[in-house]
Amino acid sequence: MLYREVGDFKTSYRADQQTFAIGSERILFWSFLLAAFLVVPFFINDYWEKSVLVPFLVWSMAALGLNILTGYCGQLSLGTGGFMAVGAYAAYKLMTGFPELNILIVIVLSGGVTAMVGVMFGLPSLRIKGFYLAVATLAAQFFLVWVFNKFPWFYNYSASGQITAPERTILGVAVTGPNSPPWATYLVCLTIVVLFAFIARNLARGRIGRSWMAIRDMDIAAEIIGVEPLKAKLSAFAVSSFYVGIAGAMYFTIWFGAVEPTEAFGINQSFRVLFMVIIGGLGSIFGSFAGAAFLTLLPVLLKNLMVGQLGWATDLAAHFEIMLVGALIIFFLIVEPHGLAQLWRIAKEKLRLWPFPH
Amino acid sequence: MSMAAVASAPAPAARQGSADVVLNIEHVSLAFGGVKALTDVSFDIRAGEIRAIIGPNGAGKTSMLNVINGFYHPQEGTITFKGQKRAQMKPHDAAMQGIARTFQNIALFHGMSTLDNIMTGRGTLMKRNIFWQALWSGPAEREEIAHREAVEKIIDFLEIEHIRKVPVGRLPYGLQKRVELGRALAMEPSLLLLDEPMAGMNLEEKEDMSRFILDVNQQFGTTIALIEHDMGVVMDLSDRVVVLDYGKKIADGTPDAVRANQAVIDAYLGVPHD
Amino acid sequence: MSPAFLYFLETVLNGLMAGIMYSLVALGFVLIFKASGIFNFAQGVMALFAALTLVGLQTGQVPFSHLINAVFGTQIHHWGSGLHAIVAIGGTMAIMVAMAFVIERYVLKYLVNQEPIILFMATIGLAYFLEGLGDLMWGSDVKALDVGVPTGGSFWWEDVTREWAVEGSDYFGMYIDKLDVTATIVALALVIALSVFSQYTKMGRALRAVADDHQAALSVGISLRTIWIIVWSISGFVALVAGIMWGAKSGVQFSLSLIALKALPVLILGGFTSIPGAIVGGLIIGVGEKLAELYIGPLVGGAIENWFAYMLALAFLLFRPQGLFGEKIIERV
Repeated sequence: MLYREVGDFKTSYRADQQTFAIGSERILFWSFLLAAFLVVPFFINDYWEKSVLVPFLVWSMAALGLNILTGYCGQLSLGTGGFMAVGAYAAYKLMTGFPELNILIVIVLSGGVTAMVGVMFGLPSLRIKGFYLAVATLAAQFFLVWVFNKFPWFYNYSASGQITAPERTILGVAVTGPNSPPWATYLVCLTIVVLFAFIARNLARGRIGRSWMAIRDMDIAAEIIGVEPLKAKLSAFAVSSFYVGIAGAMYFTIWFGAVEPTEAFGINQSFRVLFMVIIGGLGSIFGSFAGAAFLTLLPVLLKNLMVGQLGWATDLAAHFEIMLVGALIIFFLIVEPHGLAQLWRIAKEKLRLWPFPH
Repeated sequence: MSMAAVASAPAPAARQGSADVVLNIEHVSLAFGGVKALTDVSFDIRAGEIRAIIGPNGAGKTSMLNVINGFYHPQEGTITFKGQKRAQMKPHDAAMQGIARTFQNIALFHGMSTLDNIMTGRGTLMKRNIFWQALWSGPAEREEIAHREAVEKIIDFLEIEHIRKVPVGRLPYGLQKRVELGRALAMEPSLLLLDEPMAGMNLEEKEDMSRFILDVNQQFGTTIALIEHDMGVVMDLSDRVVVLDYGKKIADGTPDAVRANQAVIDAYLGVPHD
Repeated sequence: MSPAFLYFLETVLNGLMAGIMYSLVALGFVLIFKASGIFNFAQGVMALFAALTLVGLQTGQVPFSHLINAVFGTQIHHWGSGLHAIVAIGGTMAIMVAMAFVIERYVLKYLVNQEPIILFMATIGLAYFLEGLGDLMWGSDVKALDVGVPTGGSFWWEDVTREWAVEGSDYFGMYIDKLDVTATIVALALVIALSVFSQYTKMGRALRAVADDHQAALSVGISLRTIWIIVWSISGFVALVAGIMWGAKSGVQFSLSLIALKALPVLILGGFTSIPGAIVGGLIIGVGEKLAELYIGPLVGGAIENWFAYMLALAFLLFRPQGLFGEKIIERV
């Protein structure tokens, strides 16, 4: 009843290929998107912006990137943190080197820089697979963090070693720095994420997406039917790093405003994004968002519950959170390896038939 | 449709195709360490014909296909495809040149549906670059739809419309083999290599597959190289046969000639017992 | 010999010792990978957990004291003066075996025949879980571990090597930590014992069968459950030994779990399935790191040890993907 499919027949391939095949689902999606753009900015406050919405959007971007590489193309990467650092530092150098440059351009260019670095570190994937590739990405992770700590050129020779984002405006409204109103930062992040999610969806359903999935499923067969492994893998690394770099740039310029490499972009962040992608669902755009939402909301909920309601110490809450995340990973991998996205798909299947059982 | 009916279609002479040689294998030898997979094998495949490669297990048949494909590189010998000598070719180059194949143990992409699997076969024919694809609307979408139409024709031909959107991992074995054939056909190949396409099938499924193979050869004019153990299929479908044993060629000729060849009988066919 | 050469020798020796410490952790990985095809990312955390439990038992700490105090408003911390070192080790071992049981029952059993990447990610989840659990049980402050392993520089060796220096130079002798020497002996003993076990006993053969193919092993009557419990218990023991050595060296703290990450390059060099390979790989990484820090470090500002091992492993992978001792991967179509 919720999903009315009666009379909803597809008469063209174009219609058949749509992202939201069912009419009522499409309406749901567009109203949700409209609400996100037109309604939320009026109700948003500092807490929601800083603790929930902007983090969710930034992590969604990173999760989208990692999902493209690991979920669609099957190349396991533990270097997400390092690549986010590249995006952040590229943004910093661009902002300080070219102060007149619009922040949106800075962010996109940072993504481009990260894409190039990503391709470099992706070259070993042509010879190395599976866990071994994970080690190569670990090399990238540790090396990159070391580089940004070691060479003062990256942090403009400041004494603290930290980088701070100068204020930038769009149409006269500050979007970076401490004076930026919550609705502005939120809208900028939302626009970026929606745009790139749209692009990711397009890439995933076309020739390139299929070549990625072919490499993931059986790379030898893929090569034999004409998929060039070099192009496919490197394009996955490039696109993925582009997204992750943008996430890093957003993390630095809009969310935190000031970062220091080991804490902000260490191996823990790489794991965090990997968990989002696993829990959300490998190889699913929706899954990237679901996983990011889950792992952004969980700590907030736990903290509110344990510290707020029960009055426990924050480190206790932190330990519980780590345990819970670990247990959830195991739980998801056992019960539903395809993550929340699969659970959502099953729910939709049931909704299509509801109230009938089959 | 019985085997006899299939065989009584256009006479063998007409089906043999032109005298143009599509693939010429000359003195190819392939060894893995000490194991000699192929030793001094030479034969050719003419345009438009169905060439069977037969022999006992371990004779080197799949290795031969892998060599044609570019997956293995022979230590000796030359391969000439469409008149051009090939150096060490990589598999995807072979694919770009028009060689497609199916596999002994099915090599489908289990994370994708039937439709998507066959669409991957169109990859070599799709041209729009990543930026158009990122945009989707416009040239990329038009290209996608054009190729979708081509794939739907193949789906129609192979009678697998009802499983279009099913993830291939869920399909029964016989249907998976058909999807794999569809994927190979999607590449619009000049040379189609089939590695035991009838393995594990019952009589009805074999007849269907035989019909498809014959139709591909007659309707699209595709040259086919076929590894097969079922002698009935080999006799009825193929124009010429190559027999391999322990990596060496022991016979080469029409099905009737090969069937009567003593060396082949000793190595492989045997004689009927009372 | 000149002081410069003696420094070089000292670096090499210390590198070898450091390498042995890595090998101890890598051994645990190899065992589990050999027997179940699982790359147990949680090995490092297991070492940390074992060390924490050991210290907790030795000092008489009440487990979960922090949590109990928060919930009930009590103030308990210790139940007494603790157990003797040997008893504590025994107790910790029992807990590790119990943990092996629990892991098999609630995690491994459900993941039979999943793809390796799923198993790997499950062990990452396990690592996080154990880390949180360890912190919750014993607290996350840094602890000192002392089970009577001799520590500190060896004065005897210092004296001996001082004699080797060229006349008139001011060389003070080589520094070798007695702990490292103990670790080396223990590690070698472990490797020999485990190699013999794997190669010559019936149980060892069963382990190798399970590593190759779970289904096939099941079909010849090998009990996967039993094998896995045994293997994870042995790995737990190896983790305990590693935890003791590392804990005695630098205190029991979170960074111990990061050693797991260092074990990865070791495994790449030595191969994922080779017990002696774990030692050789560890040695190469240990020496490589120290030498790189000594000679290349000053050129680029130091702290190369953070990433050198991985780059070395990466370079190795490009030329020999299966490591020094691993089995060559042949892809068939």
